Amino acid sequence: MRVGLFASMAGHSAIIVWGLLALPDAGSFPTPSVETLPVELVSVSEFTQLQLGERDADQVRDVSALAPTETPAEEVPAPVERPAEPRQVQPTPPAPTPPAPTPPEPTPPAPTLETEPEPVPDAAAEAGPAPEAAPVSEPVPAADPAPQPIVTTARPRTKPAPPRPTRQEQDFNSNQIAALLNKVEPSGGTTSNTDQPASLGTRSGRENIRMTQSELDALRSQVSACWNPPVGAAGAEDLSVRVRFNLSQSGEVSGGPEVLNSSTNPAFQAAASSAVRAVMRCAPYSLPIAKYDDWQEVILNFDPRELLGG
Amino acid sequence: MDQLVQSTLAAPEGELSFFALFWQAHLIVKLVMVGLLIASVWCWAIIVDKVMLLGRMMRQMNRFENVFWSGQSLEDLYGTLQNRSNQGMAALFVAAMREWKRSHEGARPAIASLQQRIDRVMDVAIQREAERMESRLLVLASVGSAGPFIGLFGTVWGIMTSFQAIANSESTNLAVVAPGIAEALFATALGLLAAIPAVIAYNMLSNRVAKAVTRMEGFADEFSAILSRQIDQGL
Repeated sequence: MRVGLFASMAGHSAIIVWGLLALPDAGSFPTPSVETLPVELVSVSEFTQLQLGERDADQVRDVSALAPTETPAEEVPAPVERPAEPRQVQPTPPAPTPPAPTPPEPTPPAPTLETEPEPVPDAAAEAGPAPEAAPVSEPVPAADPAPQPIVTTARPRTKPAPPRPTRQEQDFNSNQIAALLNKVEPSGGTTSNTDQPASLGTRSGRENIRMTQSELDALRSQVSACWNPPVGAAGAEDLSVRVRFNLSQSGEVSGGPEVLNSSTNPAFQAAASSAVRAVMRCAPYSLPIAKYDDWQEVILNFDPRELLGG
Repeated sequence: MDQLVQSTLAAPEGELSFFALFWQAHLIVKLVMVGLLIASVWCWAIIVDKVMLLGRMMRQMNRFENVFWSGQSLEDLYGTLQNRSNQGMAALFVAAMREWKRSHEGARPAIASLQQRIDRVMDVAIQREAERMESRLLVLASVGSAGPFIGLFGTVWGIMTSFQAIANSESTNLAVVAPGIAEALFATALGLLAAIPAVIAYNMLSNRVAKAVTRMEGFADEFSAILSRQIDQGL
């Protein structure tokens, strides 16, 4: 047995050594790396709801669904008056860059008076506006202190624009119009259902996506779980109840449910109250908070026929 | 949208050398491979051993038959073989002759059923010899039948690994799947490598053992006939 074992081991090791010597030549073939193309599938509704970006916008805003809509009121005046500033302070170009030191600089305009006598009335007239410039520049940082670093990317576009108007100051018509247009546009640059100002585009671009059908169905199923439909009432086809109610962010019913339709059916009153009860009983609802805009106000149809299989 | 990152698949290097295939494999596949290698070594050890044993036995049988039929007296032959370790026909002969001798010892020779006793003794001797020749042949049979299954187990495991690779890289690129399948097939190859010689050798060796046993049975019958004639003549 020992002879056989030794012979066998010798043979196997010989084969393995041969394999190590002979086969590595056939090994190691490089596989070409394949680049993957990122593909994103966008549904039609998502595509239409994507926020339009605007090049002239002030900042990249993260539009959250819950953001208060007061900000546009502050932001609108800013672009209007900014073109106006350079026109007034035009003789002294260093003035606009440091907004704070403007008060001491009314004195330097005096040397400039020597070179050009014509701007004297301007400078004199702008001694008044100069204090105005300070308050004008102040509200901008005050309104949005946090986005200020981001603004730096957007500002170069707005700032180079004003110097051009200064050169063509005599025929300032076109830029005046552009400024006016600028004033109008930010108020509604997006699709029809949003009244929020335009921005450079949101980070995710998804804030305004409508609720999907499945999420609506989820809400519907949550409500219908608590609904005791009027069983056995005559004329069930007339008993479809349309209920509108408001929801708070936590999913609680905030605005009282109100019945939108009416019917001559005597059982309608019972059906309507059962629908309202169902809405009240099932609160709070769990819904995606990101789409709060869409389910803030909900209108639901309570149709007994669906339960009857009709 | 900013989660979309241009990504390139880290294409694994294709290595097909023995060691690379072994080291890339999962632990269980490694165990399967090592087990199959050990089985192969053991099988070949048995094969070599049995071939040598059977060859030696055949040669001894031939030599013994030559001597036996040469007309030498049975007593002399028994005298020479008695103190050796005998194999094959010589073992049969010694067993039968010992029983013969023992039955004729003493004052009352027990020869009434001596014929049957000699047959029994030679049957036992044949069985012992056959057992010696057939020992460990079952290992060959088991390796031959189970080896492919063990290799298949390694294959299944390796293919599971490659499916996990598909799931991890989210790509069905051949470069992702290939290493797992390669190591899986390597396990099957090892299984077949161990099983094929085992099956062939098992068939061949068991055939030769059967032949040797038949030959010994023939000799036992002949020798029994000779002894029976002697017994009858002695009466």
